[in-house]
Amino acid sequence: MSNLETFKYDDKIVRNFAIATSLWGVVGMLVGLLAALQMVWPVLNFSAETSFGRIRPLHTNAVIFAFVGNGIFMGVYYSLQRLLKARMYSDFLSKFNFWGWQTIILLAAVSLPLGITSAHEYAELEWPIDILIALVWVAFGINMFGTILKRRESHLYVAIWFYIATWVTVTVLHIFNNLELPVSLVKSIPVFAGVQDALIQWWYGHNAVAFFLTTPYLGLMYYFLPKAANRPVYSYKLSIIHFWGLIFIYIWAGPHHLLYTSLPDWAQSLGTVFSIMLIAPSWGGMLNGLLTLRGAWDRVRQDPILKFMVVAISAYGMATLEGPLLSIKSINAISHYTDWTVAHVHVGTLGWNGMMTFGILYWIIPRLYNTKLHSVKMANAHFWIATLGTIFYVIPLYWAGWTQSLMWKQFEPDGLLTYGNFLETVTQIIPMYMLRALGGAIYVAGVFMMVYNLWKTTRKGKVSDPEVSAPPKEKIVSGKGEYWHKWIEKRPVQMLVAATVLVMIGGLVEIFPMIIIDKNVPKIESVTPYTPLELEGRDIYIAEGCLGCHSQMIRPFRSEAERYGDFSKSGEFIYDRPFLWGSKRTGPDIHRVGNKYPDSWHYNHMLDPNSMSPGSIMPAYPWLFKRKINTKYTAKKIRTLQILNTPYPENYADIAVKDLELQAKQITANLESQGIEQENLEDKQIIALIAYLQRLGTDATPQIFVEEK
Amino acid sequence: MYKYILESAGNINWMALFALLTFMFVFIVSAILIFTKNKKTIQHISHLPLVNEEDLNIENRK
Ligand code: HEC
Repeated sequence: MSNLETFKYDDKIVRNFAIATSLWGVVGMLVGLLAALQMVWPVLNFSAETSFGRIRPLHTNAVIFAFVGNGIFMGVYYSLQRLLKARMYSDFLSKFNFWGWQTIILLAAVSLPLGITSAHEYAELEWPIDILIALVWVAFGINMFGTILKRRESHLYVAIWFYIATWVTVTVLHIFNNLELPVSLVKSIPVFAGVQDALIQWWYGHNAVAFFLTTPYLGLMYYFLPKAANRPVYSYKLSIIHFWGLIFIYIWAGPHHLLYTSLPDWAQSLGTVFSIMLIAPSWGGMLNGLLTLRGAWDRVRQDPILKFMVVAISAYGMATLEGPLLSIKSINAISHYTDWTVAHVHVGTLGWNGMMTFGILYWIIPRLYNTKLHSVKMANAHFWIATLGTIFYVIPLYWAGWTQSLMWKQFEPDGLLTYGNFLETVTQIIPMYMLRALGGAIYVAGVFMMVYNLWKTTRKGKVSDPEVSAPPKEKIVSGKGEYWHKWIEKRPVQMLVAATVLVMIGGLVEIFPMIIIDKNVPKIESVTPYTPLELEGRDIYIAEGCLGCHSQMIRPFRSEAERYGDFSKSGEFIYDRPFLWGSKRTGPDIHRVGNKYPDSWHYNHMLDPNSMSPGSIMPAYPWLFKRKINTKYTAKKIRTLQILNTPYPENYADIAVKDLELQAKQITANLESQGIEQENLEDKQIIALIAYLQRLGTDATPQIFVEEK
Repeated sequence: MYKYILESAGNINWMALFALLTFMFVFIVSAILIFTKNKKTIQHISHLPLVNEEDLNIENRK
């Protein structure tokens, strides 16, 4: 007995993360609901700060990094201590992790509605927040590895492998996708441009799904499912294969977000092949989870926690089958830019992440408060409501996606588009958007029930850090023939190195050639840098989040050439920092909208979209007509772009603002000649935006397209 | 179907080949390692989540 060491688990930190998970879940989903309603009733775009383009990144960031993020920390801090039989390495780091993360979330909740964004999807936060994220994430890493090193259990359970891979990969992704030069405290310019920026962004975006929404949650599944079912995982061997297969294949699949775009073919093919291969480990993991419950299905029927987990794992299975299918070019041609993708991700988020989080919360809260769940009946009701909400959310959106895509591609016998007016394809699916909002509302209602139920539970419980005793870690003795496995599995540092190497191979092989081989991006001689006014207009476009609804990437299909003009070439984007290809067409593609309409059309359309396009669901942007163009940083932007090899004439920055004013005057005069009257119009933001919109896609025409040999 | 999928994947060049080979290597090595592993160890590891606070608590053990 004498060699037993007595210590306490730190459960306060777990409780804090659990509370944060629930609260941010409610907030993030309510913002999502608002966005869903705005797509039906554009009047709900109350102000600049609440307009769809700014709300949408707020929603995605809140549910991914606030809701799921806190959920990850909650689950990791709980399971890691128990699996390793050790208290967290440092209480200070735990607290720093918690309060740092909440600070980041608050900063995001303020900066995104203010239009402070880097435009990289799921990495919108600007550089000072990026640095804070890095600090907190590193603190989490040190805390985790410190705990692993001082553990009392020599074997590392597979859940911990998933945590380690998560930490490594997110670190790498975060750094690469946020390489940017600051212009001001709230504005930066990415180091990479156009196609390269797009590739890195989607390598990131895809792996944010893989290594933030998937691998940590798989780790949680491998811990909490056996816990809740009170039986070990079906096959531990399968879980190891699941692990290595998944982390290795996932990292390559990013380019499937860029099929049929200006990305070189070889990169697109790689994305497809690896995406299809992903089915194998994903389904291996799903089966492993479900089979854990074999012979215990009678308990699943009664226990809401197991029910949540079963549906979560099934949703994981569905989403990971659908994902690879969407990566096949011919299917992607239909699905991309439509609500099909939105439905797909919500199977993953509402189904997999949401339900798994709810299951874990219902399991963990009574244990953290040494009591029983307030109402099992209510938890059961929540389960059905959540399932119903998910179904009501995704089915209408699948329908909307298919309907709209087919309408986009339909031709008349005489060779004209059947629905030449894009808006027709939007109004067609508004009823589906209503149903989707209803589904979302149902789902959120369930979350409110859960919060109430859990709150009641905490009221009657009492908290204490559980005190336990365990023998110190035994010395490692290798059995015959298992030397190498022990070498890896018992040594977290080797494990870390192996995971990093695997992840880096995938990343580097894809990205390096893109960056160093110039020939991947054929030059187009007529493409020139943006003028200062266009540059400011472009930054307004970014701040307003127009790219949440508009793509700037015409794919090489007849239906798109007919509707939008000649397909987009990679050489057209070499001065685009950041790239703005977008990923969803709630509105039409606008890569070649330049010169399509007179300036006055845009003026009226931005002031009230309905005046030019009756029935439009695009928000109105009245504040652009009052706010002045900010020219304080124009010169600095030009200088920064010059550092990044954008060929402005020498010392151009000094006269940039003068140039800007000149062009603004021209556009104002133009508008006046078209009958638009407004006082002091030339210094308003709308002028810069019009300058940018009218420039779009006008540089390149097929005739002067020069392929480099 | 299989052929169709491969075809729609387009020109698979050395990148894909390299990726596939590394993947096979990693996969085979991890498979070999796990299947040559001692049964008792696996049993032990897979039961790690099931250890409860009470099992570790001296009061309860007495
Ligand atoms: C909620 C989604 C949404 C947002 C956000 C949005 N738009 Fe739109 N946009 C639409 C829809 C739908 C249409 C098609 C109907 C119409 O013309 O209003 C459209 C049409 C347009 C058109 C006309 C394109 C054409 O070829 O006819 C332009 C230009 C445009 N939007 C610019 C912008 C700009 C600039 C922003 C950001 C300040 C923006 N949009 C934000 C949905 C959106």
